[in-house]
Amino acid sequence: MPPRALEVAKVEGRPETYEDQNVHAVYDEIAAHFSSTRYKPWPIIAKFISSLTTGWVGLDSGTGNGKYLPLPLDRPGGIWTIGLDRSRNLLEIARTAGSFSASREVVWGNVLDNPWRPGIFDYAISIATIHHLATHERRRLAVKRLIQSISPSHGRALIYVWAIEQDELSKRKVVSDNETPSFTGKDVIVPWVLSKNLQVPSNNSSDKNGEPQVYHRYYHMFAQGELSRLVIEAAEELGLQLEHKRRDEGQNVRGVEIVQDGWERSNYYVELRLWQT
Amino acid sequence: MVRLLTHNLLACHAKDCNTNNFPLQFKDVQLEIREADFNPEFLKGFMPKIDWKALVDTARQLGDTSLPLEQPEMVDDEFLKNLHHILLEIHVEEGSMTCPNCGHVYPISNGIPNMLLAEHEIG
Repeated sequence: MPPRALEVAKVEGRPETYEDQNVHAVYDEIAAHFSSTRYKPWPIIAKFISSLTTGWVGLDSGTGNGKYLPLPLDRPGGIWTIGLDRSRNLLEIARTAGSFSASREVVWGNVLDNPWRPGIFDYAISIATIHHLATHERRRLAVKRLIQSISPSHGRALIYVWAIEQDELSKRKVVSDNETPSFTGKDVIVPWVLSKNLQVPSNNSSDKNGEPQVYHRYYHMFAQGELSRLVIEAAEELGLQLEHKRRDEGQNVRGVEIVQDGWERSNYYVELRLWQT
Repeated sequence: MVRLLTHNLLACHAKDCNTNNFPLQFKDVQLEIREADFNPEFLKGFMPKIDWKALVDTARQLGDTSLPLEQPEMVDDEFLKNLHHILLEIHVEEGSMTCPNCGHVYPISNGIPNMLLAEHEIG
């Protein structure tokens, strides 16, 4: 299938309301079908989780169907990842992620809130979530919340978002090829065609015509460097140093180190580590 | 799921509720006990992060008195098995959690706690 051009999104009205209508409501509707297409962990994320110390607890902020909650598979129960999501229907799937006999820990909540003891987690991941927030300020707040949720002395975090630069295997393509490079990303509408055998029979007229139901999700596609800039802004607002821990640092200095950042298969990612003297 | 593992990490986050906002108090709970794989290495690693008083008090409210009031420095298998049971095998399926400070109620339904706030409650 050739790449489809994506429609540009116009975020209007209050961003909270816009996200309710164009993100949360859609995921609640498409939860079962969406989940059936999201089962394979991405390699960099699986590797990150495998590197975590036994005994650690973490937050998966925007857990979706909870596909990262059972990891690492070779150390079951060695760490505990708690999944948080805004979509109640996705959480019903996440609570048994990996196996119907399994029990995962999931919480219904908003990634812009912090319903936790401050800095209590050893790690946090935010995978394919922040790109659903409709303003730059809200995306920065989500990064701040993630940083605040992990230990100031050793907390680690991994953030993944959709990139404007989509690889050749992607079914999707952003608007057009001959645009000038963007520094601020792009707001787009991504259609979700609901699998026919998962559609709920309704009086909706489109059913009668045999047409599939199509839902539209809002995405902010990140430009190159935009995710790292978001992290830097969030760190500055929290008064964190943005460098490696130095030996000559004084007492009670806190910082964040960007361990790695890059692009993988149509996504940008950044890995962070907090430190404290 | 709300197991005591998660409960020990949750705190009230309503607007201006910053002190005495932990631990949330269980109310009208329905419990289920489900076996979980025993992983002593996880428990030993997690112990320093536990708020011990909150865990012991909450376990006692739910009817389990097997934990000592002070976190022991030396741990044996029996202690770890009790800790394992309390953290990972008691599931709160229905009920609610109330903030000891502001009284905000977080409902639990089908094992999932609702930590969402209404707009005017967000700090």
